[in-house]
Amino acid sequence: MFIAGIMDKLIDDEMLVAQFQSGRQNAFDELMKRYKAKIFSYLLRSVRNYEDAEDITIEVFFKAYRALDNWQPKAKFSTWLYKIASNLAIDYHRTKGRHPVYALEDMEIPEANLVATDLHSDPVQQVEEQERGRIIREAVDQLSPKQKAVFMLSRYEGLQLKEVAETLDMAEGTVKIHLHRAVKRLQTLLRPLWENNEI
Amino acid sequence: MPKCIKSEGQAVDYASKLLPPEEEEPFEVHLKGCPDCTEAVQSFRAVLQLTDTAQAELRVPELALQDIEMNVYKRLAAAHERTLLSRVRASIPNFGSFFRWYRTAAASTVVIALITIALLWGELFSPEPEQLLPDTQSAVARIEQYRQQDIQRNLEEAFITHHLRNDAWETESRLHRMKEHAHGTNWLKVADAHLQNLQSGTLNTP
Repeated sequence: MFIAGIMDKLIDDEMLVAQFQSGRQNAFDELMKRYKAKIFSYLLRSVRNYEDAEDITIEVFFKAYRALDNWQPKAKFSTWLYKIASNLAIDYHRTKGRHPVYALEDMEIPEANLVATDLHSDPVQQVEEQERGRIIREAVDQLSPKQKAVFMLSRYEGLQLKEVAETLDMAEGTVKIHLHRAVKRLQTLLRPLWENNEI
Repeated sequence: MPKCIKSEGQAVDYASKLLPPEEEEPFEVHLKGCPDCTEAVQSFRAVLQLTDTAQAELRVPELALQDIEMNVYKRLAAAHERTLLSRVRASIPNFGSFFRWYRTAAASTVVIALITIALLWGELFSPEPEQLLPDTQSAVARIEQYRQQDIQRNLEEAFITHHLRNDAWETESRLHRMKEHAHGTNWLKVADAHLQNLQSGTLNTP
């Protein structure tokens, strides 16, 4: 059992999928262990609500489990998982009928963020930093859904442009265009704020 | 000053470290003599640094991650039960209206219905070839496995926070979390006893 656990950590995702397809249930557990934090954090950035991000993360693995039997290794497993997550995030925004920017004001701050990590930290500075972070994240929320998805996947999830293209069903050139526009739009939105020392 | 004819996209790529290696050196040479592009790169870098910091502040709470696996299996078990129920419902014929319309042929109808039920019964309990759903039993076993892990992890964490960090609030919260998972097991009594000991200041490692 212990050795099997170590072996699981050494083998790649696609091998684990093959093991799952041949009936080894523990392989799926290892895949969940590998990706739950990444998918959760990707969805948290997208939907900006902890409870919803958690629910959608569960839904991602639920859907993956049910579809994994027929999965073919045409792309990386992680790309496929991000694709499920992206589609569910799009559905979420569609059904909620709201842009995440409106959810910001009532966003709950997790306990972990409220606990001072340094006993000598300045509470005023902490509040200012949180406020600054909120303003910047609001600017990211003002990107178009495609720009935001491309920006998030390439910048924070560490996906190569080719993988972003596969995840979002776009040509690689289109991904680049969205990325350029995203950065330029953020520059337009944030530049006046940092020039006025507001962030 | 006229804008540089070099693409702004190249400046974005350079600032994002996405410029192809063969374009990097020529662009760096260009930067040395082009204030427009140098300013653009600096500005894009500043934007990316700001957004990186802001996004890094959005942390996923460790506690939220602990239950993901168990909740996925709960979701799978619930879906499997729903599938079974809907198949049972779909396979029950509407006898009431059937008899109202064909009273005179009641005896033969009963025979037909019995044969139909027998056929459906066989189909109902045959395995689903199209999906690899866990049967409810194995999903429940998984849920139980994760529940036991959660109970033990929270108990260990409670003692670590109590003895190493002397954090009464976190210890209590860990023990309450352990209690949530321990319903219907003997671990519930263990959690209650530790909570009482914590309140009376006599909590020790077992």
